[in-house]
Amino acid sequence: MKKPDLKNLDIKKLARDFIHGKPHGERRLGDLYIPGTGLYKHREWRGIKDTMYYFNNIWLYNYGNIVMDLFRYSNGNPKVLLQFLKGTWRYRWMGQTYLTVLHWFDRGLEGLRGEALKGSAWHYRALVSASLSQIVGMFMRDANIGGDPALRAKTMAHDETVWGGVFYPFKDQMENIPLQMIPYFVTCHCNNHTVLNYIDSIQSLGLPGDPCPMCQAESGLYVEDDMPDFYPAYITTNEACDGSVATSIITDWLAQKPLFAMPQPMQFDDDTVLENCAKEMEGAWRFTEEKLGVEFHWDELVKNLEAQNELMRFEWEKWDVDANTPYYPINGVAQALYRIFQSQYGERWIWHHVDSKVRKIMEKCVEEKIETFPKTRHRVIAWSCAPLYYSNWCTWAYNCWGLNVVINMDSLMFDMEIRTDSYENTLMDMAKYHEMAPMRRNAVGGLHHIFMLWENMEKFNCDMVAMYDQLQCKGMQGVVGLFEDEFRARGIHAFWVPHALPDKRTVPRSEIRQIINDYMSTVMGEEPLDPSLLDFDDSDSW
Amino acid sequence: MLGKKKAKKKGGFIKKAVGLLGLTYAGLFCVFYFDLDGKLLYYFVEPFMKNHYDRMERRDPHSVPYGQIDNEYM
Repeated sequence: MKKPDLKNLDIKKLARDFIHGKPHGERRLGDLYIPGTGLYKHREWRGIKDTMYYFNNIWLYNYGNIVMDLFRYSNGNPKVLLQFLKGTWRYRWMGQTYLTVLHWFDRGLEGLRGEALKGSAWHYRALVSASLSQIVGMFMRDANIGGDPALRAKTMAHDETVWGGVFYPFKDQMENIPLQMIPYFVTCHCNNHTVLNYIDSIQSLGLPGDPCPMCQAESGLYVEDDMPDFYPAYITTNEACDGSVATSIITDWLAQKPLFAMPQPMQFDDDTVLENCAKEMEGAWRFTEEKLGVEFHWDELVKNLEAQNELMRFEWEKWDVDANTPYYPINGVAQALYRIFQSQYGERWIWHHVDSKVRKIMEKCVEEKIETFPKTRHRVIAWSCAPLYYSNWCTWAYNCWGLNVVINMDSLMFDMEIRTDSYENTLMDMAKYHEMAPMRRNAVGGLHHIFMLWENMEKFNCDMVAMYDQLQCKGMQGVVGLFEDEFRARGIHAFWVPHALPDKRTVPRSEIRQIINDYMSTVMGEEPLDPSLLDFDDSDSW
Repeated sequence: MLGKKKAKKKGGFIKKAVGLLGLTYAGLFCVFYFDLDGKLLYYFVEPFMKNHYDRMERRDPHSVPYGQIDNEYM
């Protein structure tokens, strides 16, 4: 390490950096890492105001609220502490993964300042709280660790790609908890070490290595016997693709519980398909009524749908600011994860709480014309599905190259309000919403939907595309060449981000960075904003 | 006289409490700034938990019979 030149110290500059933090070009964030681990020698000094905000309002606040949430989501039942400890001891995805949650914040929020730091951190707070609602829900019911059978009897489990809104008519009588959202999906973002066990488990039964690793990991949870037993019955779907059908087959074998299969059509524009999808939803309702002994409550459905519509309307307001101004206070990873989680999991109090905080921050940015990402060189749209083990690549891309990922495909999928004026209209809109699920809406749901990239690129005023390339998605692999042709024909700057969804072993994070580095230096001819971030070793980081 | 003593005692207690809180706050800031929570989790907690999970007895999936429970709800 280079020794500081004590004789030529610029005291004024040191004081300025201490008070305000170093300007973007001088930060050298890469020097903060302990090689290999992703840990920090010390966390970033962002100036007095932002460092203390991070310490008080993010680090302390979230550690404290994690404990509060345990009680909040168990209705103050003191048994939750014991159940939480038992669950942590019993499940790898819990004890090895979620204890590291504050580092998830760190990775996503690196380099952020001011209102962008605040707005993005609130989104992470919502993700953690919504995750805890499911963790507590599972552990309080789990037969493997002595959970409550009465709670269990009123709980419907479902594939994570079944929209939580399907259960709105019964929300006053039961709970719905996705099967894989917490044991699989969120773990990959928080600490991607654990998911590898589940992928290897299913392959140990003889499955070849090339199917979608999401489906492999979800099945592997059952093979590894690492799924809580919190439900009497469950609902599955074929979303995102036929790989998920295979997941359901293995789940059916190892869960040994009644299931209702609620497929979503691949080509979802046809009205006759919509009618069929609506019938499937009514079938799911009958299954829920029969298995849980609950009744369909129209008022409950309308109440929850209206609350969800309110979230949608605010999201549109956010997109408007994002698309048309430089004042949007949410970074790429916070935008993507918050929106996909919120729109898929469905109505919960935490989304409204966080939206009210974010509204204030965003309005301040607009009124005071605060440029939240002032070093933006390119406005980037990220398309197709992202690497779960490196969802924060866009934080790195902004810090290193000034690439500001303003919007992404998964944020845009559930882009509709649901009518509540009659049973027929509501049912049709719910079926439509259900059809437009992750990866179906704009990925494997038909070429014209995939090519909605071009109109969204224009809508959000983007000049560059980050094109995800999920190497084990057979559907999206089929359109790589078409995109290449279109990028050339339209004269669009685009770089590919190859990955294997949750599995960092196939394309390491450093390789993703190298591809972007190469594109930015050789094609774009640009210099990095922070050269210390060009190449560093985070091979074994969370 | 007694009141003054009480007030002095009370003042001393408040000073001690504030001092203790200040020290705790400063200690937590050190944990935060030097990423001591991350280091503890990475070097100690995670390897310990990983070893525990690796050693756990698990059900053999082949011991589960294949049988679907079918119902018609459409």
